[in-house]
Amino acid sequence: MILTIFKKDLKLFFADRKGVLLTFLMPILLITLFAFAFGGIGGGSSKAEPIKLLVSDLDNSSDSKSVIASLQALRELTLIPKEVIEATNLVHKGKNVGVLILKKGFQDSISAGNNLPMELKYDAAREIEMGMLQSVLMQSLMSTVGQKSIKAKMNTYFDTNFSGMPQEMKEKIFNNMDAIKGGMNTSAENNMGLKMTSIVKESTKIGNLGLIQAVAGTAIMMLLFSIAAIGGGLLDEKESGTLKRLFYSPLKPTDILFGKMGAALVLAILQLVVMFVFSWLVFGLPIFKDFTSLVLMILATAFAVSSFGIFLVAIAKTRQQLQGLSTIVILTMSAIGGSMIPLFVMPAIMQKIAVVSVNYWGIQGFYDIFWRSLPLIEILPKMGILVAIGLVMTLISVLLFKRNVLKLMHN
Amino acid sequence: MIQVSNLSKSFDTIHAVNNISFSIRKGEVFGLLGPNGAGKSTIINLMSTILKSDEGEILINENDIKQNSTICKQLIGVVPQEISLYDEFSAVDNLIFWGSLYKVPAKILKQRIKNILKLIGLYDRKDDLIKTYSGGMKRRINIAAALLHNPEILFMDEPTVGVDPQSRNKIFEIIETLNQQGITIVYTTHYMEEVERLCKRIAIMDAGKIVAQGTQTELQKQSNVKEAVQITFQLISEVQLEQLQSQLQIKINQSEQKIIIECDVNKDLSNIISICNKSNLRIKDIKLKKANLEAIFLSLTGKQLRD
Repeated sequence: MILTIFKKDLKLFFADRKGVLLTFLMPILLITLFAFAFGGIGGGSSKAEPIKLLVSDLDNSSDSKSVIASLQALRELTLIPKEVIEATNLVHKGKNVGVLILKKGFQDSISAGNNLPMELKYDAAREIEMGMLQSVLMQSLMSTVGQKSIKAKMNTYFDTNFSGMPQEMKEKIFNNMDAIKGGMNTSAENNMGLKMTSIVKESTKIGNLGLIQAVAGTAIMMLLFSIAAIGGGLLDEKESGTLKRLFYSPLKPTDILFGKMGAALVLAILQLVVMFVFSWLVFGLPIFKDFTSLVLMILATAFAVSSFGIFLVAIAKTRQQLQGLSTIVILTMSAIGGSMIPLFVMPAIMQKIAVVSVNYWGIQGFYDIFWRSLPLIEILPKMGILVAIGLVMTLISVLLFKRNVLKLMHN
Repeated sequence: MIQVSNLSKSFDTIHAVNNISFSIRKGEVFGLLGPNGAGKSTIINLMSTILKSDEGEILINENDIKQNSTICKQLIGVVPQEISLYDEFSAVDNLIFWGSLYKVPAKILKQRIKNILKLIGLYDRKDDLIKTYSGGMKRRINIAAALLHNPEILFMDEPTVGVDPQSRNKIFEIIETLNQQGITIVYTTHYMEEVERLCKRIAIMDAGKIVAQGTQTELQKQSNVKEAVQITFQLISEVQLEQLQSQLQIKINQSEQKIIIECDVNKDLSNIISICNKSNLRIKDIKLKKANLEAIFLSLTGKQLRD
C-alpha cells in the first residue's frame, strides 16, 4: 500500500514539468548567485570596478594638481571633478561613495609641514567601499605629498630644537627615511590631516545602519513570501471549485484578481506597519522622523510587493509550481536586492544588477528616509519606480490570469 | 426557455461536445443522462457562460449567452459538481457571500437565506462551520448557494455524487419542491434512477453527442427496447409451450424451462399468469424486464451506463 502511494506521488510530481524544473533549478541558481555575490566566481581573476571618487580642488595649486594627477593614475580609482556643494549633495543621495576636498592652503601647508587641509566626506552606508578607498588614498597621498610634508615638518623641528644642525646631517636623516618609512606611516597619515566626515551621520544623528538594513531588508523579503502565500489561496480556490463557482456569478475575472490583490495589498500594508512599529518599540527606529515619507514608502512598497505576489500566482498553475517559483524568485530578488546581504558588501556588478529587484527600491527608499534623511521630493522617484513595478506586474498578471487560470479551470 | 443549437466544444483533440441540439421548456426538469466523460458538465459550463463554444448557439429566454452573458447569469443558478463552499465559514456566512455576488439587497438576502435554509432542513445548523457538516448536508448547502438570487433556471451538475440514500432522497424532495415553485431544472447525472424519478424529458449523451432525447416513453420507442416477462416453470413440454403460444398470441423465446414473453407488463401480466394456471403450468419464478433507461442506453450505445 505504501509503495502504491509512493509511486502515485512520484508520478504526480514528475507529471508537473515546470514544478520539477523549478525544484532542481532553484538550488543551482541560488548556489551560483551566492557564489557570485561573494566573489567566488572566476577564482578572483575578475577585475574589480574602480571606485568613483568625486574631487573638489579648492587650492588649485601645483601640489593639489599633482595629488589629483597621481590619484587619477591609480586603476583602483576614477576621479570625477565636481564643485563641493554638488559633490556633497551626490554623496548625500548615495550616488557616490565620497568626495575628496583639497582646501585652500593645501600647497602652503605642505611647504610649512603643517597638517594638510583636506577632507573626505563619505557615505557611511558604503562602509566596505570606504575602507578600500581610504587605504588607496593614504598610499597615494603618502607617495606624493606625504614625504615632502614630513621633510618640511622635520626640518622645522630640527631648526627649532637643534638650531645649527648641519644641513649634511639633516640630508643624511632624510635619506634614511625610506628605511624607517614603514614605521612612520601611521603617524604620517595622522599628521597629513585627512579629515574623515560621514555626511549622513552629521546630518541625521542616527547611527544604526544595521538596524535599518535589517528592518527594511527583512520586511520586504518576508512580505514577498507572505503575499505569494496569500495569492496562493487563488490556486486553492481553483482546486476546491470555489473559483469556478465565482465565475458562474456575474463577476468578471478581473474582479476576482483585483479582489485578491486588494486583500494582499491591505495585508502587505499591515505587515509593514507592524514590522516598523515593532522596530520602533523594540529597537527605537525613529518612524516618526519623516512620517509622511514613511507612509508613502510603505504604500508604494506594499503595492509593488502585492502585485509581484499576484504575478507569481498568475504564472503558476499548481500549488507545487507556486511553491518552487516563489522560493526561487523571492530568494533571488532578496539576495540581489540587498535583503539578505547589504548591497555595499557586494561587488559593483551585483550592485548594478540589484536595480531589477523590488527589494532594492524598497530598501533604498527606507535608507533615504532613515539613513540619508532625504526630503520627500528626493525619495519620490524611488516610490515612483515601485508603483511602476506594481502597475507592470498587475498588467501582466491580468493577462496571465485570463490565459492560465481560466483555461485550466476547464481542464 | 433554453434553446441549444448545433453546439460544439473541443479541448485540443477531444470533442467534448459534438454538434448537439436540444430545447428545454419552462418549468420542466430536463435530464442529461450519460456516463462520465459524456460531455454533460461541459454543456452545463457552456450554458452557464463560463465556457465559450467553438460552434453553435445557446439562447436563454431568447438571450444569446455570448452577447448577453450578464443577463443570462442572473437568470440561472448553478449547482456545481464539487462542493464549492468555504469550509472555514458557517453555512449562513457562505450563503451571505454567494448571495452578495448577485447584489441581492442585504435585507432580502437575509430573508431568502432563512427560507432556503428551512427548505433544505438546515436552519438549525446555520451557524455551524461547513467543515463540521456531513457530505449530504454540504450538498444541500451547495444547492442553497445557487438559489439566493431567485434564478428562473437551475443547472444541477450531478448534485448527489457521494451522498447516502437518505440525503439523496432529501435532495430529490428539494428539487421537486423547487420545480413546483416554477424553477426550470437541468439535471445531469449518470444515475438512471434519478432521471427516472425527477425528469420529464431526458437527453441521453455518449461521447459528446446526444444519442436520443424525449420522454421516457419516446426514448423507449426510439430505442426499440421492449418490456418483457421471464417465467421459469417447474416443467414445461413442447406441446404445452405451443398451446401457451397460441393462447397468448405473442412471441415467446424459450430456453430450457424458462420462457421470455415480450409484452406490456402492466397490461398483460395478469392474463399471462391466468393462462398458465389454466394450462396447469406450475410457475417457479417470474422476473419483470422493464424497458428502463439502463436498457435503453444499452440498446442505443451498446454500452452499460456506468462503463
